[in-house]
Amino acid sequence: MSMQGLVILGFVLFCLGLFGVLARRNFIVILLSIELMFAAAGVNFIAFSGLWHDLTGQVFTVFLIAVAAGEAAIGLGLLIALFRLKHSANIDDASELKG
Amino acid sequence: MTIGWILLFALIIACALGVVISRSPIASALSLLVGFVGVAILYLALKAEFVAAVQVLVYAGGILVLYIFGIMLTDNEALRLTRQVHFQAWPVFLLVLVLFLWMGHKLYHSDYAATPPAAKVMVVSGGDQAETAIAALQAQSQVAAGTNTQRLASVMYGNFLYPFEAASVLLMVAALGAVFLAKKEI
Repeated sequence: MSMQGLVILGFVLFCLGLFGVLARRNFIVILLSIELMFAAAGVNFIAFSGLWHDLTGQVFTVFLIAVAAGEAAIGLGLLIALFRLKHSANIDDASELKG
Repeated sequence: MTIGWILLFALIIACALGVVISRSPIASALSLLVGFVGVAILYLALKAEFVAAVQVLVYAGGILVLYIFGIMLTDNEALRLTRQVHFQAWPVFLLVLVLFLWMGHKLYHSDYAATPPAAKVMVVSGGDQAETAIAALQAQSQVAAGTNTQRLASVMYGNFLYPFEAASVLLMVAALGAVFLAKKEI
């Protein structure tokens, strides 16, 4: 498998996740798009780990999954707090700090 | 590049697109689930069996279930009737497209795939040691016998013991923070 294909795949995933974060209004879909960007980083780690015969990339992918789990927990806590406050998961409703 | 790779890539990218553009959040979550299974198959094909198993267990089994719980807790009719895409979607699309084209051009013309970093340092510093460095790296990867999981464990609990502990502290702090944020009176 060519490295170029894997790197481009990771980059496509990252761009889609970035678009989702910036363009969607539902808080949960924004969190899911962040997970897409995590997956892009994981694909790159695993690809270069295989290319250089070095297991460090795989170790970092395991850490990345741990960080993603923490992000999911905090994100859902924020979601529930927002929903208590606004009765909505729409990100545009959270505008208290707008000047 | 065989047909299997192309199908796998197409599956992953289609699922990622489904996450971003589908109207209902539950469809996004299920699309992401299929995409993560696709990524796990990719990890298997790249000989990272343990990470593939962790990907399916933790992501598909744990994190996605949490997200689906979140969707069930917060879904209501009013949200489904509003526009799902922000008014800034088109500028963002252009921005991401420009980023994609620029970085894709850079990636396509870079030589990242050529040599391992250690050997590259050797090449820069002093001539004929490069072959020795590459041979040493290859020998190192073959000397460490055993399955992928055994070798990964020896690396993770050897060189990366302290980062591993830091990750567990991070998870604990995240769980405490989630409980604190979701409390009734914040």
